[in-house]
Amino acid sequence: MTRRLPRSALLPAALCIIGGICVVQAGWIHAKGWLAQRLINDAFDRAVAGEHTARPWPWADTEPVARLHLPGAADALVVLSGATGRNLAFGPAHDKSSVKPGEPGNSIFAGHRDTHFAPLAGLRLGDAVLVERIDGTQARFTVRSLDVVDSTRWRIRLDADRPRLLLVTCYPFDAVDPSGPMRFVVTAEAAGEL
Amino acid sequence: MKQPGASAVVRPSWPTACRQAMAFVVLLLPGIVWFPADADTTGTSFASTHDPREANAGSLWLRSSPEAEVIAGLSVMTAMQVRVTGNTARVEITQRFQNPSDAWMEGLYVYPLSASSAVDRLTMQLGGRIIRGEIQPRETALVHYEQARRSGRQASLVAQDRPNMFMTSVANIAPRSEITVRIAYLETIPFRDGRYTLRLPLAITPRYSPGGVPEAAPQRVAVGGPAPRAKIEIDLQPGFPLASVHSPHHAVTTAEHGAGTNRHMISARAAMDHDFELSWTPQQLVDTVATAFTATADGATHALVTLMPPDSAAQPAPPREVIFIIDTSGSMGGAPLRQAKAALQLAIARLGADDRFNVIRFSDDASALFMAPQAADSLARAVAQRFVQSLRADGGTEMRIALALALDSGSRDEMLRQIVFITDGSVGNEAELIQLIGNRLGGARLFTLGIGAAPNAWFLTEAAAVGRGSPTFIAAAERVDEGMADLFRKLEQPALLDVGLRWPDGTQPDLAAPLPLDLYAGDPLTVAVRLDGDAPPSNLTLTGRDVTGHWVRQVPVVVLEGETGIAKLWARERIGALSRRKRLSPDVGLHRALDERILALSLDYGLVSELTSLVAVDSTPVRPGSTAGATAQIPTAAPAGTPWARSAGFASTASPAPLLAWLGGLALFIGAGMTALRRLARRQRVPLSRHPARRP
Repeated sequence: MTRRLPRSALLPAALCIIGGICVVQAGWIHAKGWLAQRLINDAFDRAVAGEHTARPWPWADTEPVARLHLPGAADALVVLSGATGRNLAFGPAHDKSSVKPGEPGNSIFAGHRDTHFAPLAGLRLGDAVLVERIDGTQARFTVRSLDVVDSTRWRIRLDADRPRLLLVTCYPFDAVDPSGPMRFVVTAEAAGEL
Repeated sequence: MKQPGASAVVRPSWPTACRQAMAFVVLLLPGIVWFPADADTTGTSFASTHDPREANAGSLWLRSSPEAEVIAGLSVMTAMQVRVTGNTARVEITQRFQNPSDAWMEGLYVYPLSASSAVDRLTMQLGGRIIRGEIQPRETALVHYEQARRSGRQASLVAQDRPNMFMTSVANIAPRSEITVRIAYLETIPFRDGRYTLRLPLAITPRYSPGGVPEAAPQRVAVGGPAPRAKIEIDLQPGFPLASVHSPHHAVTTAEHGAGTNRHMISARAAMDHDFELSWTPQQLVDTVATAFTATADGATHALVTLMPPDSAAQPAPPREVIFIIDTSGSMGGAPLRQAKAALQLAIARLGADDRFNVIRFSDDASALFMAPQAADSLARAVAQRFVQSLRADGGTEMRIALALALDSGSRDEMLRQIVFITDGSVGNEAELIQLIGNRLGGARLFTLGIGAAPNAWFLTEAAAVGRGSPTFIAAAERVDEGMADLFRKLEQPALLDVGLRWPDGTQPDLAAPLPLDLYAGDPLTVAVRLDGDAPPSNLTLTGRDVTGHWVRQVPVVVLEGETGIAKLWARERIGALSRRKRLSPDVGLHRALDERILALSLDYGLVSELTSLVAVDSTPVRPGSTAGATAQIPTAAPAGTPWARSAGFASTASPAPLLAWLGGLALFIGAGMTALRRLARRQRVPLSRHPARRP
């Protein structure tokens, strides 16, 4: 006897399958972000050790530019070069049109609010942010302002007189819609070399 | 569920259907409760309290558009054709409005033009047909344009937004189609420092309006990406052999039009983030420092008189008191401020020991380096140099405070006072500032030094004219020395004082604008004159005083044939002079009288002015339906080197994970819920199906 699934059960079953796929995908995004950070971390160490354009995996078209230590976060985040959608899935990314962190000007790091840059929600004025650079030196920044900005109305100025670090992520942090216009911007000013 | 087959199969009883619907609602509830939280925080309440312009410095944020919604699509291709004859230019601007979208659209485009340009022609090309524009009072033109727009006819309107900022509106551009608009103007080309310079403004530095006064013209600048390019073709007939032709900011190709014709064809594809400039120098500087050209039409003669002041012999400059004002507002950030600082440091180094000076900086506020002007000894100069070095660009452009500070800080004795105003002039309250200068100038002279790729040339020229000084422009870092040398020459010695124009007896000259009192080295005098009758005198006399005493020059009058545009240039200059008087006077009655004269002149001579516009309207409606379609303003290029060209947008910094998780969770909930409900329903249905009546 072949027991066929009754047609009335098709819709619930399809919904369950679609729901399952979605949940797994969401989990995969988080897993990918976590796994990529492990691989990129190695690449960053190799780059600091002197390897030229240390790629995290052989076919990668990006390389790590800095390692970011946020207060209260156990693991450091490795920042990739170029704020493209693909890079952002692997970790925070540095906007290539902006200066390198620690140089005079606004250095822009962007990250996903729900994965790597979720800890930004906990930052307070005066917090210290540490950036390890690819040449092995470190720069310390102090959080000077936290802003919520409408990305359709404003742009970030690239020139600044002092070295500044801008951490950009989407806002609000617990929103579901990934295409919202608001951005949360942490502005940190250089607090000296180490 | 919409397929008939599906509904026939499930066939649940009514109570079951109701229960399932209830379950849907219950399962969806968490979502309904969840979403409003997002809406709350993304809404305007939070954003407005954290408006970056109010919160922290304008140093970080740049407004990219006044409206949040940006309609993508419409674009404008610009081409310029210039015909130069002697010292006048006829410029034709072609703007191709392209609509790649699937909807009917209206396009707006704001663009810069030189303030002295006499805009007199508009044609609109629709397919193979050409529709000529007509000059009309501003409001009437707008009404005609609006009527056409609403009734589905194609139309275009050219209006003057600011003296040097114009706007073209084009109504009812068909989907995936284009409308070409041609605008033509006349202009005189200034002969300055031994060369003629044609300027075609291409970029607009966004203007700052103090106190959040809304912009008179909604202005969008294009940011990010390569600047659009304008196709420029120049037919240059200077009337004399050329020593050199030079474009400092754009690459050009030059070809001679046949040997020995003194005619050159110049073309360029100019990036629109920098004003286009072309200068040419005659092979030999002829002795005629003054020229007078006339043209006769309709019983009146119009003359264009130009005078190049003589190079005054090197004389020791008298001691002066110089107040430098330097603009450190946000729009000066980057290259402009570096140029301004370099220029100011040169000027301070150049001061003599007998001179006195002070430095005033301004952005959101203004402050002076010294309490009162100091003797320019080596210590004071060193302090000033350090002060200048430390300046940073940040904040708004509150020019009024700085100007008031400089104008009011007069010293007691009778020293020659000069104010050197270093800025890009990107302000929205130009009229107020010019009025302030006119009212409080006293015996001082105000010189303006325009900085950057696209300074507000009209404001800087006008401020210097009212301030009885002279404007100088520095367009790029490598030209600071050159520009400053010109400025020093002017500061150190006026070339000609008490300039006068004498006509043979019986002539009734009507000067378009009053003659300036002082003429500076390298600054030409150009004045248009209207004479009654069609028999101009054979010569006229220019007089003045220079360092050696009385100065007199006889100028032969040259009569030109054909369409020369001199009459239109006279009208344009007269309109400019009338609006200047209007700006300087607070008297409302006088305003009305001046407005009437401006309107009459503009209509008589067919020119666009603050009170007239050119409008071209097609006669037959082409747009079906009754909705007029969206309006899009096409961004104007931002000048190179300014913060607008050096800015970054925001990356999309949210992964779809929460959305996927939420949707997935929802689908699982519903799926599981429906399965559970089906089981429940079947359990109820089982006894029913075993009912004896159901058995076959």
